[in-house]
Amino acid sequence: MRYLLSSIFALCLVSCASYPKKNGFTKMEATQQSITNVYFGDASKDYVYKANIEAFGNSFSGIFIVKKLGTAHHRIAFTTEMGNKIFDFSFRGKDFKVNHILKKMDRKILLNILKNDFSVLVKEYPSLEKVFQKEKTTVYKTDIENKKYYHFLSEEELTKIVQVKNSKKKVEFTFSEINDNIAKHIQILHQNLNLKITLKAI
Amino acid sequence: MHKLVFIVLLMVFGTNAQTPMSSSEADALKAKVKELSDETNTITSDFVQYKHLDFLSDDIISEGKLAFKSPNMVKWEYIKPFSYSVLFKNETLFINDDGKKSDMDMGSNKIFKQLNQLITASIKGDMFDASEFEVSYFKIDGASEVHFQPKDKQFSEFIKSFHITFNVKGEVLVVKMIEPSEDYTEIVFTNRKTNQPLSDAVFAQ
Repeated sequence: MRYLLSSIFALCLVSCASYPKKNGFTKMEATQQSITNVYFGDASKDYVYKANIEAFGNSFSGIFIVKKLGTAHHRIAFTTEMGNKIFDFSFRGKDFKVNHILKKMDRKILLNILKNDFSVLVKEYPSLEKVFQKEKTTVYKTDIENKKYYHFLSEEELTKIVQVKNSKKKVEFTFSEINDNIAKHIQILHQNLNLKITLKAI
Repeated sequence: MHKLVFIVLLMVFGTNAQTPMSSSEADALKAKVKELSDETNTITSDFVQYKHLDFLSDDIISEGKLAFKSPNMVKWEYIKPFSYSVLFKNETLFINDDGKKSDMDMGSNKIFKQLNQLITASIKGDMFDASEFEVSYFKIDGASEVHFQPKDKQFSEFIKSFHITFNVKGEVLVVKMIEPSEDYTEIVFTNRKTNQPLSDAVFAQ
């Protein structure tokens, strides 16, 4: 019995530990108010990606387009390779607008997932709560629309964003093949849902 | 000075003037396209696709090759800037996404069935089916432009209007698909060859 209790206690210590603790981050002094995600920050550029979406057992592909239209103002559209528009969203400050979505996809749950994921993708200046260090990576605990995120920067390049809920990883965004403020390869991977979005710059 | 402005305006607008065809001109075009379509067994062509989204600085340009074999095998192959092909064959849509293959049964999907018919018809130009489209005919710079507005509500959710430009021979030069939002996809065909032997291997998946 005592063994059982102590093992439950030990289990709780591990599973109830905060995300930084579980991952062995060292707390640092915060010297800034926000960090910068540069990947969709140039209003003169059209960001065009070949996209693959694996969702709930289905796989489909298309063209994923991001355009910055002003301060905290982005447009995100997804079309088939042949050009038919699947969805088209506007993000302006805290406002989210659906300009177009196929009737079949017009479901509140799906829209919420896409809205959350894409608002994180284009959020240029997430507000900063805490700073940690793990080896050569600086990890910034951030807040976007009242949700908790960790932005991972290696050598000042944003390589990963992790959404955390109840100390557990919920969604992971990875950025690679980074060149000239463009991440040529981006992956959005959900841990609790069967959903993966892969983007390759074209 | 006023005269000069007028002449310049006339040059700018005059050359692009869209004149509606008379009904006899429209009938002549229909007959020409139908005749050409009936005697076409194979088509190969290069194409350049311009995807216009109003909020973008530039159109998204992709290039590829098209192959058609009568009665209804069509392969669209994008080569640049990505490798992707769609093959319509025997009521099935085969997709090859940079080596990753998948297929979809179109038999049960009305929209895909219609899309396939439209693609086949628009390559050949023969889509003057008045029961499915509102059709209007124009003359532009010696070429002909025909506008097709789908009557089907489900279809018009995707496409508000098709514009097809024909050369004097009645061959399709340009297909423009306009969405309800006015954003559009324009496909320009070049290097078109008809009735050349085309092996079934081209349409193998």
